[in-house]
Amino acid sequence: MLNTIDDRLGERLVVPPELMGDTIELVVRPRDLSDVMRTLRDDGDLRFELMADLCGVDTGLTMQVVYHLWSPLCSDWVRVIADGLSREDPRVPSMVHLWPGAEWAEREAYDMFGIEFEGNRDLRRIYMPPDYLAFPLRKDFALADDASRSPGAGIRPMERPVAPADVRAAPAIRTSAGTGALIGPDGERLEVGAGNAVRPAALESGEGAP
Amino acid sequence: MTTDREQVRSLDDPEIMVQTPGTIFDAIPPLTPRTEREAEFYDLSEGQMFVNLGPQHPSTHGVLRVVLKIDGEKIVDLDPVMGYLHRGVEKICENGDWHHAISNTDPLEYVASMFSEALPVLSAERLLELQVPRRAEYIRVLAWELNRVASHALFIGWLALDLGGITPILYGFAERDEIVEMLASLTGQRLLFNYLRIGGVNGDVSHDFLSRLGDWMSRAGVRVNDQAALMNENEIFVNRTKGLGVLDRETALHYGMSGPPLRATGVPYDVRRAHPYSVYPELEFDIPVRTDGDSYARYLLHIEEIKQSLRIIDQVLHQMPDGPVMAKLPRLLRVPPGRAFAALESPRGQYAAYAVSDGSDQPFRFRIHDPSFFNLQAVRSLTRGHLLADIMAIMASLDPVMGGIDK
Repeated sequence: MLNTIDDRLGERLVVPPELMGDTIELVVRPRDLSDVMRTLRDDGDLRFELMADLCGVDTGLTMQVVYHLWSPLCSDWVRVIADGLSREDPRVPSMVHLWPGAEWAEREAYDMFGIEFEGNRDLRRIYMPPDYLAFPLRKDFALADDASRSPGAGIRPMERPVAPADVRAAPAIRTSAGTGALIGPDGERLEVGAGNAVRPAALESGEGAP
Repeated sequence: MTTDREQVRSLDDPEIMVQTPGTIFDAIPPLTPRTEREAEFYDLSEGQMFVNLGPQHPSTHGVLRVVLKIDGEKIVDLDPVMGYLHRGVEKICENGDWHHAISNTDPLEYVASMFSEALPVLSAERLLELQVPRRAEYIRVLAWELNRVASHALFIGWLALDLGGITPILYGFAERDEIVEMLASLTGQRLLFNYLRIGGVNGDVSHDFLSRLGDWMSRAGVRVNDQAALMNENEIFVNRTKGLGVLDRETALHYGMSGPPLRATGVPYDVRRAHPYSVYPELEFDIPVRTDGDSYARYLLHIEEIKQSLRIIDQVLHQMPDGPVMAKLPRLLRVPPGRAFAALESPRGQYAAYAVSDGSDQPFRFRIHDPSFFNLQAVRSLTRGHLLADIMAIMASLDPVMGGIDK
């Protein structure tokens, strides 16, 4: 099967197809994706009819869309990675015309990563509320209240090394539910520093501290 | 239908402008349509109306809201609204280490959580190229198949309940209760087991568990035949499932469906055979397949799969070797960099995970593929043209679990 795939798609792959365990991995550029997927699905010797999975990946440098396909003729999965999508404006052709089942998976990838699937007629958020603006699975979306990474002086009152009485006096800082930004006591946005440890000016100046 | 609303500052984040929210008296949707499909759906023709089903309706099996567009009693179109149970499990998994992911993925498939908690385990083992002790593999298969029977027993009861029959759910729950008590004796928990570990399982089988299992196995074969005798030829049940929600092979494949809905259309796709994992290659069992593709075929497949699971459990009990149940692994587990796709056959179909590791003790990306999500997607094409009352029967026959769909 590896040879057949190399024969049919060889020149459109970024690197030669590679067998990793029981998965054949193909890396393609977004502009070749439609051709490659159509060949994989419709070629009589390939017949990858079932889309076993579709997901987005944020590598921190680029965005990827990863497809896993199954064929009754092949004992391995095929993983197609559409690599090299820009993080500012990730765009990739939609696969809904080949696999109608890709529609919700593409909606999910759009919801979580902001990847635009061109040709999907129903590309709206699937999990998050319609007025939500951030893309939560992107690597630059930090969990502001993540206790496991908090250096102790996190933004949660319970993680601050101060007595409970002082916590009540401390200004209320919250995380926006819609954008993930930190909102200060007067409704202003706060800058997120390294490690998510944001100490408001009021705390730094000693007001309310023991 | 839609009006331009005033833009105001969001109470949530002051730098964001939002439209003023709609009131409960507004026609749905409160916001302007975002996509072509949404605009098309929310445009009513003469004689049509919207009916809102859920999100608290018992027959949606969880917190699913379905906006139905109906013409009289006939369903013209529908728009499922999801996300009520969304917890961001994938993000949480990326922010905890590999061991945390086991208990985080546990509540996804809350009816059969032995399967969803296997995802981080199987994908980490693939990346580590780890050899799991054979006794541990046999215990895993035993736990999986028991959980499959519990889930299928509940499915059969639920399907009948959605059609108005109350008796089968009592039998279903009795069966399932006996199994979850048995699993509680094995794992310490009735529903969210947190039992599988990277490299094995958390603890060997106990005498109490084996005696309960032997006791139950002596009756299980008879019980499943009783269940089948109660429903297979019940006239109301057959009339409301046979020929309803018919899927053909191409549609099922192209919708990415798996599990009983796909096998009911004649595709013998079962991950246990298609991409063998654990010790399934050593066990003898059949993959029941039907070709009708309707709700009744899906129901019959569940009955047959219970019988196959009992067959597997019987073999596991006879073949289980002695030995350790945990591989030797460092406490701080650093998984080598790489990509792995691990899949297993859950009662609802192919549960899969695509894990990307960067060599640290946390997954870099942990994608969870839930079969209910893809099976539920087909409900739009399955119910179009059917009667309003049949949507429950058709949805129940796909057996969605919202915990997994919403992640």
